[in-house]
Amino acid sequence: MKGQADQKKEATKTVKKVRTTNKSAPVRLWVKAAFTGFRRSKVQQNENQALLKIQHVEDVASSRFYWGKRVAYIYKAHTLKSNTKFRTIWGRISRSHGANGVVIARFGRNLPPRAIGSTLRVFLYPNRA
Amino acid sequence: MPAKKRTTRIGNWYKADDEKVHFIRKRKAPRPSSLRKINPGQVLILLAGRFQGKRVVFLKQLKSGLLLVTGPFKINGVPLKRVNQAYVIPTSTKVDIKGVDASKIEDEYFKRTQAQRRKNEQGFWAKRGELNEEQQTNEKKRLEEKRKTQKSIDDALIATVKKTALLKQYLGARFSIGKTTRPHDLIF
Repeated sequence: MKGQADQKKEATKTVKKVRTTNKSAPVRLWVKAAFTGFRRSKVQQNENQALLKIQHVEDVASSRFYWGKRVAYIYKAHTLKSNTKFRTIWGRISRSHGANGVVIARFGRNLPPRAIGSTLRVFLYPNRA
Repeated sequence: MPAKKRTTRIGNWYKADDEKVHFIRKRKAPRPSSLRKINPGQVLILLAGRFQGKRVVFLKQLKSGLLLVTGPFKINGVPLKRVNQAYVIPTSTKVDIKGVDASKIEDEYFKRTQAQRRKNEQGFWAKRGELNEEQQTNEKKRLEEKRKTQKSIDDALIATVKKTALLKQYLGARFSIGKTTRPHDLIF
């Protein structure tokens, strides 16, 4: 009997509170952009220039804000590199394209065609203020 | 006539043409970037890094051109920090930094000490990262100094921040882009 009481006392010992990580909502500081394809004519395309449709950007005046901003294509690979399976291809938005807010981005290495239709991240830096 | 004694060596190679002098950069030190429409006391939004989205108070521009900012630490966890102008959005909110004295802080404050640089050594060099008694006390002193400087700057700031309604909560909140946010239309 005494043994059981002792055991219960030990079980109700308070557990030291472990410092938990930041539990606030995730913060997004990038704008979604769809990679619609490479700059092209009907029968020829230029893979050095990627066309990006940035969310909520519908005209040239709005797209000017994004000139120079850095863009990242993030994808997963099977092997670990630098401790992570995520890999990125970085680029920058170089110019506008057409009248409806589409934008051309150039990347350090050209985007793979399988990225067509995927979402890229357009960051708000460098801020040209 | 006796030949003059040569004081410099003659090499084996004589160039046929006159040497072309490559472009010599006269400016040795980098020119610090000019401050674009950012005034001391203004609240900035950090765009990248560990504290992305955090709103911080701008104190002054350092000689290297980087901006010196502080959270204040007690409000949002951002310590005294250097930030590049291009990685920041200035907002129209201003905090009065009259009582804040950041004149003693310069780029040297952020320079890494040898103990810091050796902290993460691995393998063969791991022994260099281990600190002896004297180095440990020095590290402790350095951290104490840092805490003191942080506190001295933040105390005056926090007192001013508390006077304005909701400013403390504003600085504690993070900026985020939502589903319908259009950064190109936002007036910060």
